[in-house]
Order: sequence, then structure tokens, then C-alpha cells
Amino acid sequence: MPNEHHLLTQIKNGDTQALSILYDNYSGALYGVILRMCKNEAVAQDLLQETFVKIWQKANSFDPEKGKFYTWAYRIARNLTLNELRNPSPLIQTEDLSVYKERATTEEQSIDKLKLNGSIQKLDSHHRKALELVYFQGLTHREAHTEMNVPLGTFKSYIQQALKKLRESYQLLLFSGWLLIEQML
Amino acid sequence: MMDKNAIIESGMLERYLLGELSHAESLQLEAILQEDAELRSLYEEMESDFEKMARENAIQPPAKVKQQLMEKVIGDTTPVIPLNENRANKQYLAIAASFALLFGVTAIWLYTQLNKTQESIELVRTQNSELKNELELVMENYDDIVGWYETINDPNAVQFILKGNDKSPNAKAISYVNHANKTVVLNAKELPTLDADHDYQLWADVAGEMIDMGVIPKNTPMIAMKYIDKAESFNITIEPAGGNDHPTVERLISNVYLE
Repeated sequence: MPNEHHLLTQIKNGDTQALSILYDNYSGALYGVILRMCKNEAVAQDLLQETFVKIWQKANSFDPEKGKFYTWAYRIARNLTLNELRNPSPLIQTEDLSVYKERATTEEQSIDKLKLNGSIQKLDSHHRKALELVYFQGLTHREAHTEMNVPLGTFKSYIQQALKKLRESYQLLLFSGWLLIEQML
Repeated sequence: MMDKNAIIESGMLERYLLGELSHAESLQLEAILQEDAELRSLYEEMESDFEKMARENAIQPPAKVKQQLMEKVIGDTTPVIPLNENRANKQYLAIAASFALLFGVTAIWLYTQLNKTQESIELVRTQNSELKNELELVMENYDDIVGWYETINDPNAVQFILKGNDKSPNAKAISYVNHANKTVVLNAKELPTLDADHDYQLWADVAGEMIDMGVIPKNTPMIAMKYIDKAESFNITIEPAGGNDHPTVERLISNVYLE
């Protein structure tokens, strides 16, 4: 979004309206990540709120020279969620504590919701799995290659090939979108 | 400096993006990205691809999350702002301070102006009341003058001039006699000033007898005197202050025959 930089400046000056706009733009993508990582809606909602509180408080430390706002926000969400999973906070209420013990198993009710969509869905299963582990599960490369039972080098190339495919797919989408607009004109 | 291809192959960019790198590694890579435009654009592509993927997998959170968030930050607004010690805030503070100063200076200036205006109003008020008093005096004088003018301008008024004799050669008085309405008016302006113990007195001579017409008051330009029937002449004498029952003939200074 073009106004993102401007919004961040406003947030630094305590403008809550700017935070509201930023929330509307990014909460869905971040909630998708957080919920897939912790697999508990109540916890995910608290973590999403905490993520934006942190964005609000730490807006000063965001440096647009170092990358996009979304990447920065993703890292905040990911760190908060991983910390929560390692050391469950008593403040974040969960009715069912077993989710932490059975982190790998998804709750039946939200299987549909947590299913991955879009371009990642069309990737080869090992590429998809690799991306899912690092991006939507928050595993490190080291953790993930053990999880997939492949050497670290192989895992790295899985990620890179997956990203390459993803890129091609987005470029194709962009191209077909452009073609469609051309046809319509 | 690390080799560009080594960085790409090592998966450092992905791990940096995901937040897996240590603080030291992150700083090192940030420095390299700052220098290397090609690597930088590769990283930016990766960022947008990850963001697109996240957006494709977005899940709408319930509305209450936003509501709670906004309540929390609005409640936090007051303590959060002073913590943000950035330049923009300092600028706002400076601007606010300038405005405060400007308002202060303006207030003092306005206060001074107000005092000056009040002083001016007071002055104008005083002058106005002085002018009013003067106008009242002038109006009184005007009424007097109009009165005297009407008296002496009456067609029935006859003028007799009393000139000083050897005893008071500079003395001069003018009398206006109106037999129709029986009045006598005297203009005693040019009688020499007497000391406090003496007054001029006007007498009418009726068949050899001097009859009192009244003491002439000091510092009065025009004065109405008693009208005496069948007066043959008017006479002015100098008498003790307050007047006399009988004229002091030795001190007669002026007389005039009414013919």
C-alpha cells in the first residue's frame, strides 16, 4: 500500500486512526499466519492484538530502508507466537491447554480454515511442505529439515525452488491479469 | 564481505526475512543489502512474494479483536506519546511551544493595549466633562448677554454716559434708562478698581434730594439698578464698603443730567 510509510509516521506521532487503517490492511494476513502457528482461535486473537500493540509501541524502530512493513510485522507476530507457544502466558486464556502439547495436530473444526490457499497450493507437495513449515509453522530451517527428514542443504534448495515457483506463478497471474485488462479495453 | 552467490545459496535472505538470523548476522546482512542493489532487489522480490502468499492465506479475525486493540491503544495514547522521542514529536513540541509563546506575547500586548485604551477613555471622559462645564458657563453668559442686549437695544432705552471728574478722570460708566418699563441698567466696566474697604454707589437727584439707586458690585460688567421716578441726574460716589445712607458729596466722581 502506497500510504504505508505515511501511516507509520502518523503512528509514531500517536495517531490511533492510522493504526486502525493499518490494522484493516494487514490483520487478515497476520491472523492467517498466527492462527496456523498456534491453532487456537482465542490465543491467536490475543496474539494478533498483542502484535498490533507492539507495532503501535515500536513504530519508532521500523526502518523502511531495511524492508517492507509487512515483513517487519510478520516477524513481530511470529516471535510473539513462538514465545507464547514456548512459555504460555497466564494472561492469555485458553480453555484447552492441550493445544500446546499437541501442537502438530490441527483442531478438527478449523481444518478447512487452516488449509493453505492460492499459489502455494499448486506447488509440489515437498515444496509446499517446506514453505509451510518455515512460514506458517514458524520452524527454523534447522528444525524443519529434521521434521522433513532431509539434509539441511536439500531443505534449503526446496525453499529456494518453492520460492522460484511461487514467483513464476505470481508473474503468470500478473501477466494474465494484464492480458485480461488488455482484452477488456 | 561475503560473496553474493554464497549468500543466495546459503538461504540467508530467506532466513533473514523469516527472522531466523542472529542479531549480528542480521546487521552484517543489512550492511551488505545496503551496498548491493542486485541482492537488495532480490530480497524485495522475496518480500513481496511472501506477502502475496500471506494475503492469499489471510483469515479474517473477528471484529472484537480490533475493538479491543483500539480501546487499548486509545487508553495508552497519553503515556505512549512522550515515549516516542523522535524528531517529529520534538518538532510538534517546538511548534506548540512557539504557538504558546506567540499567544503569551499577544496576550501581554493586548493587555497593554487595553490599559492604554482605558486610560484614553478616562482622559476623553475628563475632557468631555470639562467641555460640558465650560459649555454651561458659556450658555449662562450667552443668556446674560442676550438679556443685556435686549435691554439696551430696546427702542425705549436711553443711554447716558457718566464721565469721571477731576477726582477720577479715567472713570467711565454707561447707564441705560427705560422710562416705559421703569428700568435702569449700568455698565460699570470702566470704573477704576477700588480697594476692599470701598464701593461705588449710584444716586438719583430728585428735586435736590439724593436718593439711593444701589451699590455697584465689583467685577460685574452690567448691573440692573433701582429705577427712581423723576430723577434729574445720576451721580456716582465712593462710599465705605457696602454703601451709605447718604452720599459723601466730597467723593463724587461723576454725574450726568437726564435731559
